[in-house]
Amino acid sequence: MQAFIQEFLDDFQRNFIVDNRWKYIVDGLETTLLVTFLALILGVVLGFVVAIIRATYDKTKKLKVLNWICNIYITVIRGTPVVVQLLIIMYVVFASVNIEKVVVAVLAFGLNSGAYVAEIVRSGIMSVDEGQFEAGRSLGFNYVQTMVHIIMPQAFKNILPALGNEFIVLLKETSVAGYVALRDLTKGGDIIRSRTYSYMPLIATALIYLALVMGFSKLLGLLERRLRNNER
Amino acid sequence: MKKLVSLLLVAAMVLSMVACGGKEVKKITSIDDLEGAKIGVQLGTTGDIYASDQYGADNVEQYNKGAEAVQALKQNKIDAVIIDNEPAKAFVAENEGLKILETPYEEEQYAHAFQKGSKLVAEFNQAIKELKEDGTFDAIVAYYIEGKGEAYKSPEGIEYKDKLVMATNAEFPPYEYYENETIIGIDVDLARAIGDKLGYEIEISDMAFDSIIGAVQAGKADFAAAGLTITDDRKEKVDFADSYYTGVQVVIVNE
Repeated sequence: MQAFIQEFLDDFQRNFIVDNRWKYIVDGLETTLLVTFLALILGVVLGFVVAIIRATYDKTKKLKVLNWICNIYITVIRGTPVVVQLLIIMYVVFASVNIEKVVVAVLAFGLNSGAYVAEIVRSGIMSVDEGQFEAGRSLGFNYVQTMVHIIMPQAFKNILPALGNEFIVLLKETSVAGYVALRDLTKGGDIIRSRTYSYMPLIATALIYLALVMGFSKLLGLLERRLRNNER
Repeated sequence: MKKLVSLLLVAAMVLSMVACGGKEVKKITSIDDLEGAKIGVQLGTTGDIYASDQYGADNVEQYNKGAEAVQALKQNKIDAVIIDNEPAKAFVAENEGLKILETPYEEEQYAHAFQKGSKLVAEFNQAIKELKEDGTFDAIVAYYIEGKGEAYKSPEGIEYKDKLVMATNAEFPPYEYYENETIIGIDVDLARAIGDKLGYEIEISDMAFDSIIGAVQAGKADFAAAGLTITDDRKEKVDFADSYYTGVQVVIVNE
């Protein structure tokens, strides 16, 4: 038992203490969080805009061209893997410009997430009863006012669990950012592993992701409870 | 809605401003210019280890494949790539506008790696020695590096007593690479020649370079042949057979 503990400590020392290797993990975590956060904002903004355009077209048959563009966007993004999108943005779209890798990653993951968020939000808008819409209009609200004050608040509450799920997926998906040599959490662990040939950085990386997701789920649970307060 | 649109516009503007603020391209004409340059490498290779030690980890970008580092170099995303000489030649031959610096960066010894305590080490050492003496090894090298003669062919009628799994990363011409959907190269032919001598059939397992040592260590592969250099850190994890070839690390830059 003692030998095992000693070996574990030695391994730990070699993987994280020697050469300040823990810095790869900490810096990687920072990058992962930054990319996830910015991609989240981009994805949510994009998702809501696309969803509103699509829902408006479904309800009123207006915005035909925009709806057509949004449809192509969703089809292309959902039809291709995020790694491929990331590589295309890095080596094809920005082939001739020297761009910060974080920006590439934010764009790739943001654009990707946007397509999924759009469908989630649209499902939320569609799930609100048509009568709510008619009620809003008959109270003298115009289309936009009805959307903002009546439909969206109800829709948002309905889609919160699905949105939370999408954010968790996004956080974990950023682990492929290493493909464009961006040092995110996973890549940080891989770099240590390429020096020490040990399993330990993998476990450490996994535990950090797990902790992040658990913390996030907790926050989401709190938000959900708060939003339900008005129901009783 | 207006707020959303304006937010989106602001985001797009910020992104495009960041995107356009690219840095100056550094012109590299000798090894001395590497100081402070952005150097691309393949993760876990000796080029990666040396460059990170010498120029600082912040100046080194680790790509999953050597070819991706070369692509980034071509697009001026990095200033130089440090990689083994033979793959470097292949990359430069395929891509216009690239050249290899005349001064080599580092010399190193390639060897097969085995799980600690493996009995195969002694068998391999003997087989490699015999293959070097009877000229088989030189013929393999001549075929893949100089394009002379023929690839290695197994003699007919060999009965294999067992199968060995060889871990490699088939993105490393001319040591191992794909051609017509099969993996060929110096390491592959040499492994087959060794296998034929010892009575083992060779099965190739293609994986990421930085997984190779782990795979051998965990017994997922019986040995590794991947232009793998003997280093002290690696020796702690795996056993190496005698070196079969001397590799050279070189620097690729834009012309």
